[in-house]
Amino acid sequence: MPESSLRVFSLNVNGELRKVKAAADTPLLWILRDELQLTGTKYGCGVGVCGACTVHENGSAVRSCQITVSSAAGRAFTTIEGLAAKTDQLHLHLHSCQQAWIDEDVAQCGFCQPGMIMEAAALLSKHSRPTDADIDSTMSHHVCRCGTYQRIRQAIHRAAEMQSAKPSTGTKTGAKTGGKS
Amino acid sequence: MKVTRRTFLRESSRAAAGLVVGFQLGIPGATSALAKSTRRAAISADPESAAEFAPNAFIRIGTDNVVRLWATRSEMGEGVRTVLPMVLADELGADWEKIVIEQAAMEPRFKGIRLRTSGSGSAAGTWRPLRKAAATAREMLISAAAGKWGVSAESCRAEQGSVVHTESGRHLTFGELADAASRMPVPASPKLKDKKDFHLIGTRVKRRDGQAIVSGSAVYGQDIHVPGMLHAVVARCPYLGGKLVSFDPAPAMKVEGVKYVVPVRSGFATGVAVVAVNNWAAIKGRAALLPVWNKGPNASFDSDTFTREMENALDQPGFALRRDGDAPAVLVASKKKMEALYEYPFQAHAPLETMNCTAHVREGSCEIWVPTQAPEAAQQDAAKLLGIPEDAVKVNVTLLGGGFGRRLQTDYVPEAVEISKAVGAPVQVMWTRDDDMKYGFFHPAKLERLRAGLDEQGLPVAWHHQSSGPHLSLLGPTAEEKKNPNYFADDGMLWGSFDNPYNFAHHWADYTLVESPVPTGPWRAVMYPSTVFARESFLDEIAHAGKLDPIELRLRLLQPGDMRDLKATMINRARLIAVLKTVAEKSGWATTQGSTSDLGSTTAPHEKSGRLWGRGVACNVYDGDCYLAMVAEVSVAKNLSDYKVERVASVIDCGLALNPLGLEAQTESAIAWGMTPVIGGKINFKNAQAQEHSFADFKVPRMSEAPRVETHIIQGADAPGGFGETAVPTVAPAIANAIFAATGKRVRRLPITAEKMRLA
Repeated sequence: MPESSLRVFSLNVNGELRKVKAAADTPLLWILRDELQLTGTKYGCGVGVCGACTVHENGSAVRSCQITVSSAAGRAFTTIEGLAAKTDQLHLHLHSCQQAWIDEDVAQCGFCQPGMIMEAAALLSKHSRPTDADIDSTMSHHVCRCGTYQRIRQAIHRAAEMQSAKPSTGTKTGAKTGGKS
Repeated sequence: MKVTRRTFLRESSRAAAGLVVGFQLGIPGATSALAKSTRRAAISADPESAAEFAPNAFIRIGTDNVVRLWATRSEMGEGVRTVLPMVLADELGADWEKIVIEQAAMEPRFKGIRLRTSGSGSAAGTWRPLRKAAATAREMLISAAAGKWGVSAESCRAEQGSVVHTESGRHLTFGELADAASRMPVPASPKLKDKKDFHLIGTRVKRRDGQAIVSGSAVYGQDIHVPGMLHAVVARCPYLGGKLVSFDPAPAMKVEGVKYVVPVRSGFATGVAVVAVNNWAAIKGRAALLPVWNKGPNASFDSDTFTREMENALDQPGFALRRDGDAPAVLVASKKKMEALYEYPFQAHAPLETMNCTAHVREGSCEIWVPTQAPEAAQQDAAKLLGIPEDAVKVNVTLLGGGFGRRLQTDYVPEAVEISKAVGAPVQVMWTRDDDMKYGFFHPAKLERLRAGLDEQGLPVAWHHQSSGPHLSLLGPTAEEKKNPNYFADDGMLWGSFDNPYNFAHHWADYTLVESPVPTGPWRAVMYPSTVFARESFLDEIAHAGKLDPIELRLRLLQPGDMRDLKATMINRARLIAVLKTVAEKSGWATTQGSTSDLGSTTAPHEKSGRLWGRGVACNVYDGDCYLAMVAEVSVAKNLSDYKVERVASVIDCGLALNPLGLEAQTESAIAWGMTPVIGGKINFKNAQAQEHSFADFKVPRMSEAPRVETHIIQGADAPGGFGETAVPTVAPAIANAIFAATGKRVRRLPITAEKMRLA
């Protein structure tokens, strides 16, 4: 048996230090999905053109399919699973984007939406009241084959309003899905 | 009624199927234990007796008051997992908060029940059977309560998860009644509620899966994890119709984590699977593999050459689709005539979740987890491949990251089953985006030639629509059937030309089949996109040639607004007239820069913000069932270097709109979908290979292209129609017509590019 080419890498994911044994060129996307079972980050293209694998690094949106685990080592990332603030074992404070997505009934198949939400959350952390043009230029790096763009735009405006109304991120969940609007 | 292919497609999407109404004493969540813990089932879970009922959803009510409903359609964004609970809650009188939605699987319990999701039938096909099932359950619960209280059933009602005795106000919850209800006789013909007693149906209800989706916890096919599971990617033959000659597993096996390299003979494109402990090792292993391929008989296939073949075929005899009067003779005799040729290129589906399937083959059985629209076919494929009974194959349906017709094919299922069997472990086969682009079941390219003979007023009196191209599916007519020119005559084929809703004194439609090696399959809106693009563009050309308002022309051609029985489908022209008139009003059709005038004046193009603006209209009837008219407004750069679809206003009448919020969402979605072949979506084949790799070269609409969309619903009275596809076919012609209005440039070949606008 030849010596293993795999190495151990440490990275911070959703506030926890995680150690993974992997090939150095493994994209962060596959580390998250296959090794850490954080499957909210989606594989859509693997070549950085669809946005489904978007995660945060220091609040900025990055494509996890374009970052190798060796370069990710020592860095800190947040995935869709870590976007909401956990208040205790049972309750989450959804991020305002997540809540706005529910309020605007954005999702159809929903597959692209974690990536969309991560991008939108990063946008709002830099532009508290983005214009339609800001939204279009940022979100156009993502693909939604269900074409939910109009509702995404509305949801981002709504999230911006929620954030400006309440500086602390997030709103109380238990937010009824499937309720009447 | 003769069962034609079209009626089969339609009826099979509506077909009633079995339902179990059971009452269980057990713990919700223990799905597999449910049957065992059912102390007494009013209607047993036995498939034989279930089939007698023939509705198609499962209801279970626990003593904990939880009402469980099994969705019998795949959720791919159409909202079926929201709309079915709405119907259930209203008809049963259930508490909305107590309904839990489960997903039906292909397993013996659901035998004989349709789970296939197609033809916009999720709501339309399940509405009646589900209501009947819910009414059955309601009557049994009421009987149980009435028996306990010694009162008449008529004096009780079910609401909010309880049965209430109206006079005394006494009430018992469904959970308290579950056991007694299970002993009640099954009503032979339960009475359905009057629509005025519905609380949820017709209101705007949000997606029940919303929170799971935004939290990243919703489970799609690629998110399935089975203990001990390996990951596989497949190197498939890159040439249409080619074959694997040989492969050397050694280079792939050198990649750490690769466990097996095995041939794959099932699926559609055969090849070699690289099976590894994770996706990345499998992907790297495949890249290292250099299989030897035989290019097969189609090695020179080129889609541009094929377009010329389709053009030549228009002059060859084909299938007669419609023969009203003598259109060719009148055309020849007409003083004024028009002719135009329209092109629709091959399209990929490219759902954002690529094809995938997880299979675990054991001795004599198999379990599958798959995002598919066709679980029945998945089960049959697996059983056939393994040589085991269908009942030995369980197919679990996950959420679908988009379907759009691609997931009506099941080529990814036998692949996974074959590989799992070969390696003796559960295996997830993942398609990369490049695989998804190259190994699709593409929407066929088509050419459409339209000819019209016009009267003195410029109105068409003779109409001849000729189509050429591949069949929509691999199951086209046989060699023998191809010899019969009337093979499709009563079949409703082709959708969009056969069921052309307009009144022409002489009206012919023909179709010449041109075969290609490209695997083809239904795409969102099935056959309509190509035919309706041509039909509605050509009408616009006739309107402009005769200086007629395009909406006014359509309204005149729909007179006398009657029912039109086309055997395979029934068109209600009055409903189409209504959506056209309403879209004229809602879109401000006759309005230019804020001034309004009466309908009938041609919408004037104008200049605004340094760009040319124009509007175009199109309308269509989807399967005789759903009526839609659409006005698109575009702006075009003065030098024709680009265009933008600014706004799309639609009016839709699909009968009873169960959830207007969902209907609007589907219309928004269908508009984005319909824009794909307009703004750049096109698959080019060279040397028997699709040339596109990802969303970088297969252009799909993105946020910056998304127009402002307004959807207006005409609420119908009776049953819901299908609406997931209705808005797709009108998008391309509405945009093309708007571009013409703005610029005088008529683009007849999709996609519409700046270059084509300049050359037009």
